[in-house]
Amino acid sequence: MTTWTVEGMESTLDEFRLGPVDLELRPGQTVAVLGSSGAGKTTLLRTLAGFLPLTAGWIRRDGQEISDLPPERRGLGYVPQGLGLFPHRTVERNVSYALEVRGRTDARARSRALLERFGLGDLAARYPARLSGGERQRVALARALAADPEVVVWDEPWQALDVEARHALGEVLDDLRSTERIPVVLVTHDPALAFSTAEEFLVLRKGRVVLAGDAARLLDHPPDAFVARFVGFENVYDPAALAGGASGSLVAWLRERSGPDGVAFGRPTLSALPGEGPWSGTVSSVRPTPEGLSVALRVDGLTVMLRPEAGSSMGRPALGARIAFSVEEKSLHALGSPVLDGRGKA
Amino acid sequence: MRRAGRHWLVLQVALSGSLLLLFLLPLVALFTYAPPSRIWAAAENVQVQQAIWLTLYASGIAVLAAALFAIPFGYLLARRRFRGRAVVESVVALPVVVPHLLVGLGLFLLLLPGAPLGRLTTYLGIPIYDTIWGVVLVMVFVSAPYTVLASDLSFRAIDDRVLESARSLGAGPATAFLTVTLPLALRGIVAGLLLTWARAVSEIGGILILAAVVYPGGPYSGPVTSTISVYVYNLFQQGDLTDDAAVSSVFLLLAFVIFLAVRLGERSGWLPWRRGELEP
Repeated sequence: MTTWTVEGMESTLDEFRLGPVDLELRPGQTVAVLGSSGAGKTTLLRTLAGFLPLTAGWIRRDGQEISDLPPERRGLGYVPQGLGLFPHRTVERNVSYALEVRGRTDARARSRALLERFGLGDLAARYPARLSGGERQRVALARALAADPEVVVWDEPWQALDVEARHALGEVLDDLRSTERIPVVLVTHDPALAFSTAEEFLVLRKGRVVLAGDAARLLDHPPDAFVARFVGFENVYDPAALAGGASGSLVAWLRERSGPDGVAFGRPTLSALPGEGPWSGTVSSVRPTPEGLSVALRVDGLTVMLRPEAGSSMGRPALGARIAFSVEEKSLHALGSPVLDGRGKA
Repeated sequence: MRRAGRHWLVLQVALSGSLLLLFLLPLVALFTYAPPSRIWAAAENVQVQQAIWLTLYASGIAVLAAALFAIPFGYLLARRRFRGRAVVESVVALPVVVPHLLVGLGLFLLLLPGAPLGRLTTYLGIPIYDTIWGVVLVMVFVSAPYTVLASDLSFRAIDDRVLESARSLGAGPATAFLTVTLPLALRGIVAGLLLTWARAVSEIGGILILAAVVYPGGPYSGPVTSTISVYVYNLFQQGDLTDDAAVSSVFLLLAFVIFLAVRLGERSGWLPWRRGELEP
């Protein structure tokens, strides 16, 4: 088992600059890389995989620098967005590719074993174009694992998968982590995948690390609107939404507590109708969710999401009804934390 | 909506059908002008066979040369960024648009005994005028751009992520090229090579100036003859329309069979480059 250490890693792609990024990949660890589109997530994976040269910093494998190694000598399994399967090779020959190029004599036996392990035995002779999304994902993972990589980096594993396929793939990832102990770096936009598989999170914004830490840190300190929405805050307001608003209004109250990128809070619960609190708004929509009713109120030009308390007798509010509510000050998160140095330090 | 869809289909069929007729009618005129017995006689005529053999031989060398030079050229255009690429791309397209008598004339002037290229070919002992090399040179000039352009488009169409997968799986640049890039681009490249071959065998303008009659020499040791296009042109000049149509029919049939064989080979999966699109 090896440990990869990334320190002060920087790279560029045209005008885009990534880094500095610090990361430690220990056996069995899964790191989720988060960030909005264009944050640099894929650039980070491609730099780790050796497709973009480092402009600063280094990557070490058990203390030995590998920053300048070409992709084929890094020992890293890279599953790109869209999977990058070879359309002209059958499933079996996709999986055996890494072994064939190494001249391994056990290529066929090893790839057959992997196909069986991933439930792909019956599909060995098929071409990728004839596979479902879930099958393609499994082929991509089996192919990446064929040459026993030290690290797997995976760009958007759950992209375009249905719920069942996601569940199956989640189990495969769990297995990978618990039995093979291979560190995995995932790029994902899916909170369910991130929280069910990752212990560490790296949040990027415009190529810079804005948060590095575990799930608790992510939940307690969402650094920006993207992460706030990612971790489940439904009430997220940017500075533009908080402009204006009379003194004493909800907008003004939130603005006073806002950070440079706005403010976020979870859904306040309503204990009973008509509710109590300093603010009130008009019900604009009511929809059922697995957690109960979700009520949208229009308040001072903002939409505020609320949830009736479990077991409350308030029933289903009527559209257009006025409801009073309060927001606990401690539930507010000012957004726009300073950019970190890659080690999670401001 | 359904009616609009039907109208659109009728329009497509009408437009495609018109073009197909334009392609077919002159050929039908050729096939029907000469009686089958004359077509058969043309096929058995030794001089016709010699002209066809020379044409196939020279065009085969031209296609090999195109594969050797034009595929890497297409790769370079598709995968490398360099200053002046637009100019280079325009120069590549130039042979397609230049009248081919001008091509012949240009090559003729370039190869004059006092001209640099003429001195070089004389020094190397490679005669060009009225030899198979002259035919091949003209054929490569007018037809290789099709392979360059087809290779460029085919290499460009390959998803970078597929190539990156190959590299991360342990393939060096050369292995990735041979095992992934080339097979994926092969269908387009083969289409380009087929066009190159078709353009090469149909060339006449430049050949008339540089090698209207081909004498033995270099890789060609057969009798004195000419390419089939020149042979047909000569018959036309003599006013022998029936023989002209018969010889043309023989060569058209041969070309059609070659194209059909490649297409059937692709569809059956016997030729490798479409296998990923076929069952299973």
